[in-house]
Amino acid sequence: MSELEQDRREIATVLNQPGVRPDPKLRITRRTLIHRSCLVGAATVAETFAWWPLMNTLDIAHAAEPPFKFAWISDTHLYPRSLNTRFVEKTVRAAKEVQAMSPPADFLIFGGDLAQLGKIEELELGNEILKEVKIRKVFIPGEHDWYLDMGKKWGELFGPANWTFDHKGVRFIGLDTVSRAPDYWSMKKMSPEERMAHMSVLDGTVAGPWAGVGREQLDWLQKTLSTWDRNRPVVIFSHNPLYEYYPPWNFWVRDWREVNDVLKPYTKVTNIHGHVHQVLYNEIGSVRSIGMLATAWPWPYAPEGVPKLTKPMIRVDPGDIYDGVGWGKVDATAKDEVDVEYVMWGRKEVFAQSPEDASKSIPEVLRPRIADTIWPY
Amino acid sequence: MITRTTFSRTMLVGVLGAVAVLVGPVDAHKTPIKPDQLKAYQDAFMEEVRKGDLLFHGDEAMAKQMGVVLSNTGMACAMCHPQTADTHPHTFPKFQAQMAKFATLRDMINWCIEKPNQGEKIDDGSDAMKALEAYIYWSNSGSVLMPGKF
Repeated sequence: MSELEQDRREIATVLNQPGVRPDPKLRITRRTLIHRSCLVGAATVAETFAWWPLMNTLDIAHAAEPPFKFAWISDTHLYPRSLNTRFVEKTVRAAKEVQAMSPPADFLIFGGDLAQLGKIEELELGNEILKEVKIRKVFIPGEHDWYLDMGKKWGELFGPANWTFDHKGVRFIGLDTVSRAPDYWSMKKMSPEERMAHMSVLDGTVAGPWAGVGREQLDWLQKTLSTWDRNRPVVIFSHNPLYEYYPPWNFWVRDWREVNDVLKPYTKVTNIHGHVHQVLYNEIGSVRSIGMLATAWPWPYAPEGVPKLTKPMIRVDPGDIYDGVGWGKVDATAKDEVDVEYVMWGRKEVFAQSPEDASKSIPEVLRPRIADTIWPY
Repeated sequence: MITRTTFSRTMLVGVLGAVAVLVGPVDAHKTPIKPDQLKAYQDAFMEEVRKGDLLFHGDEAMAKQMGVVLSNTGMACAMCHPQTADTHPHTFPKFQAQMAKFATLRDMINWCIEKPNQGEKIDDGSDAMKALEAYIYWSNSGSVLMPGKF
């Protein structure tokens, strides 16, 4: 039995206790929004609808509070404008679309990886583009934003990496899952650029299990939740998923057990995360988890560990830079039903309609890379 | 009746055979494989895998060393294909929808270099192509051949 398989069995034992699931009253359904421009042609579409397809909009309502929505953008991975205009164009478009929402969203959450290599000019470019969005904005960092200067510029631009606020009956929490990597750079005397380069490669083996919440932040999370009714909605934003999906790509947090211990008493917890660049849905104990699309590019599903509850997204056309990226929508009614919508540019169907529509229809056995562990890497 | 020509050919083959037996094997394939030979072959392969891994992950020094420009956008192959996921070398050759033609893995590698990466196409027989191929195949070791699979 492989180490990964042993881990998975442990997860199942720890998290999937008999009868433990997210509150059934907060039911998740899935549907896709057929973008009107797909049906009638982009040239004839009114401005309002032309703005739609890139946003992640979320409608959350609690029975005693009016419904509202907010927008999600993440994983823009900006290079300097002089190097890569495609990522810039898509970020600009996303920002304009959020600003054009009518009625406006209550706030925008940016879910991390604004920059590709953490450079000051990349972060400042992202900040400038997002100034297009005039509504309230909150930010959590991604690993690409952090490891050049260890979060210095991020903090100057966007403030603390974790935070909480209450809004219309929902407690929102932003977690920092990226800043606590084990030190892989000091012993090897890496420059900041080398440290960032290793961190920026998803399948790199040098940065190791960098994603984690950390003991002191877990204590803060526990304290933050202790003043909240256990049956009222909690939405936790994180860059990484708060469970173990595929550790080699840090599609997890390494202290998922402790996170689960803190969240276990709460019945309406939704974790919305970036990093995976793909449609993803899972239930871990009493917590539901939703992975959001990137604006930059889609990741393939990992070779192992895709949650069984995930309805796979359609196989992406690599020739279309707008395919596989887009927005998702979580929409809750006063009856505590939640609809999850993903919309991609130019896609009528976001989910695979047949086995051949999904990339996983072709079996593959993959090895981890090796060249980054062979000196000089 | 044996003609003079046939006799000459028979003699030539016999002489070459005798030389081969008497002089000994000059071709390594005709000797039992020794561990150091196996290691040398494997090392030669893994060196290509290592080069291909670096190229695949956008290593500028290796690209420069091999004289190729695989990207002009900052994108690298591994950004869409971590651990070479979704490259599916075991399904080639096949009809490739993006190119609208029957394609080899090398065709697809060049398509990705030119389209998403906006880099410069490389020669089919170039060292860089062989290294990329070596890495992709190595990384997919264990995948079952499914030529033509969409």
